[in-house]
Amino acid sequence: MVSSRREEAETIRTEINEWLANVERYNFKNLPVFERYVELQVSENFYDLEASLAVLKLYQFFPHLYKAEIVCWILLKAIANLPHTDFVLCKCLLGPGQLDDLNIVRITYLANLLELCQFKSFWHEKNKDQNLISQITGFDDSIRKFVCHVVNITYQSLDKIILKDLLGNVTDAELKSWMAKCGWKEDHGTIYISNQEDIIKTKNITEKITFDTVSVVMYP
Amino acid sequence: MILTSPEPIELTLTNQWLWEIIDEFVYQFQSFSQFRRSPKLNSEELAYIKDHHYIWSVLSVLNVLHSLIDKSNINQQLKAYFTGENAENVAGEFGRSPLYKMLGYFSLIALLRVHSMLGDYHLAVKVLENIDLHKNTMYCNVPACQVTTYYYVGFAYVMMRRYADAIRTYTNSLLYVQRMRQMFQTKSYQNDQVNKQTEQMYTMLAVCLVLHPQSIDESINNVLQDRKYADRIVRMQAGDTKEFENCFLFACPKFLSPVPSSLEGAAPEHEPLQIQKTIFLQEVQQQIYLPTVRSFLKLYTTMPLEKLAGFMELNEATLMECLLCFKHKMHNIVWSKGVSSLEGDFQAGSEVDFYIDKRMIHIADTKVGRRYGDYFIRQIHQFDELAKGLKSLRF
Repeated sequence: MVSSRREEAETIRTEINEWLANVERYNFKNLPVFERYVELQVSENFYDLEASLAVLKLYQFFPHLYKAEIVCWILLKAIANLPHTDFVLCKCLLGPGQLDDLNIVRITYLANLLELCQFKSFWHEKNKDQNLISQITGFDDSIRKFVCHVVNITYQSLDKIILKDLLGNVTDAELKSWMAKCGWKEDHGTIYISNQEDIIKTKNITEKITFDTVSVVMYP
Repeated sequence: MILTSPEPIELTLTNQWLWEIIDEFVYQFQSFSQFRRSPKLNSEELAYIKDHHYIWSVLSVLNVLHSLIDKSNINQQLKAYFTGENAENVAGEFGRSPLYKMLGYFSLIALLRVHSMLGDYHLAVKVLENIDLHKNTMYCNVPACQVTTYYYVGFAYVMMRRYADAIRTYTNSLLYVQRMRQMFQTKSYQNDQVNKQTEQMYTMLAVCLVLHPQSIDESINNVLQDRKYADRIVRMQAGDTKEFENCFLFACPKFLSPVPSSLEGAAPEHEPLQIQKTIFLQEVQQQIYLPTVRSFLKLYTTMPLEKLAGFMELNEATLMECLLCFKHKMHNIVWSKGVSSLEGDFQAGSEVDFYIDKRMIHIADTKVGRRYGDYFIRQIHQFDELAKGLKSLRF
């Protein structure tokens, strides 16, 4: 019944957007709907930063309503939205004690590996947490999208083997589909990313003095 | 009474007073929130606070601010103002009265402040989405309000890792303070606050420039060369995390928790300030190698990976991760257009940029040529004045 969950998400989204525009966002009675929305984000693979931040804020105001599972899901969805800094924003809203929860410590550790671009370690460590992460639909793909983003801005060309490692030991077929998505080409074991020479050039910023600026001092 | 009256109250107060009223309101909330978490409270006081948790509760404060905003229709008025339409048409009965309009505007700034103190930086900047902070039109003419706005917006940008935006916000604000220096000389509570916020902004600006070097206005740069800041900058560039911590503790706003400590265990490392500080230092820690990488890259135009690995005494795999991290951290969202300060696209921010081709690093540096245009124009003006003065002298 995939389509009915999608419809449910659409209905809830309209309601939530109304609440977010006024003080209803601080009303703890709305919390169950917000939580259901997070659940739907996880299963239907879409993302709504504002709604997630609103949930964390309600947990901040009403700590007795805190639900660890929802927070873990929100944090994992935030990581999946890298390179945006959503994960840092979420961390700032967590209260004392909550940051010490073992699952959250684990998630923070994984986020740290990604921020430091230690992708090989990340894929290795992530496999130990399958029960936590496997519920998030499309998590692996979102992380791969982030890896491709970083590779895109860094490389002009690199070895196929290194790229496969960075993407988490994907099969050749999967690699081909990622290359197609990003517009990369292969050439005997080397992947050509893009022509960076045009984008990254030494710039000499010299001052441009236009006639307008000088006309002020010329004879009026 | 202002909120519950069915018709607008006939009262005219200066904008300065209205700002001070709202400012004081938030200050009382802040002081009380810190008071009820104080470890010096005795058990009687703790019990009283627990039973009367609605006193200065965060919800009532937010309610008041939101009511003022709704009553004055300030958001609609701002939208109309910045698109060039007539704000009067959308103001509504209450909004037309200057009392309510300015109370609504100052409540928006107060919300920015309250959300920042609670750690919700995204919402803090979002409440200002109808105020175009990049245009120099002064919708409100209370200088203390302007300075406070830029201080909090700049800080929110730093925590969101939008360093280029933070640097731009801080430099605009500091230039404004420099121009209006005369106004802040008299001794008053508001002026003390402005002066303190100015120092805090210089400190945060120094932090941003260490993490995200870029060239800034000459006059601001000269202030940062002053020994007070220069020492700190040198220490931070060398990777001294303690100095980062000191700067953060000096420059950050007062953080609050929305609940009294009696509802949770009150361990010192759980205080809101410590939590925010830890998050900031984690971010710094992730970027601690970047100045070193940058200094090596500045020396060459091309360099093989092995050579850089040798300089930095890292193996090649670790070096690669370092370089990827450099690119990732320097690629942040920067505002370029639109009214809301939250908007922006990803842009490469570093003046020293590079790309890797197989195993060779190609480096591009940005050199800024010396500016002489302004200097000449200033001198020409001065000579002009001198010549005019001489002509008018009678002997």
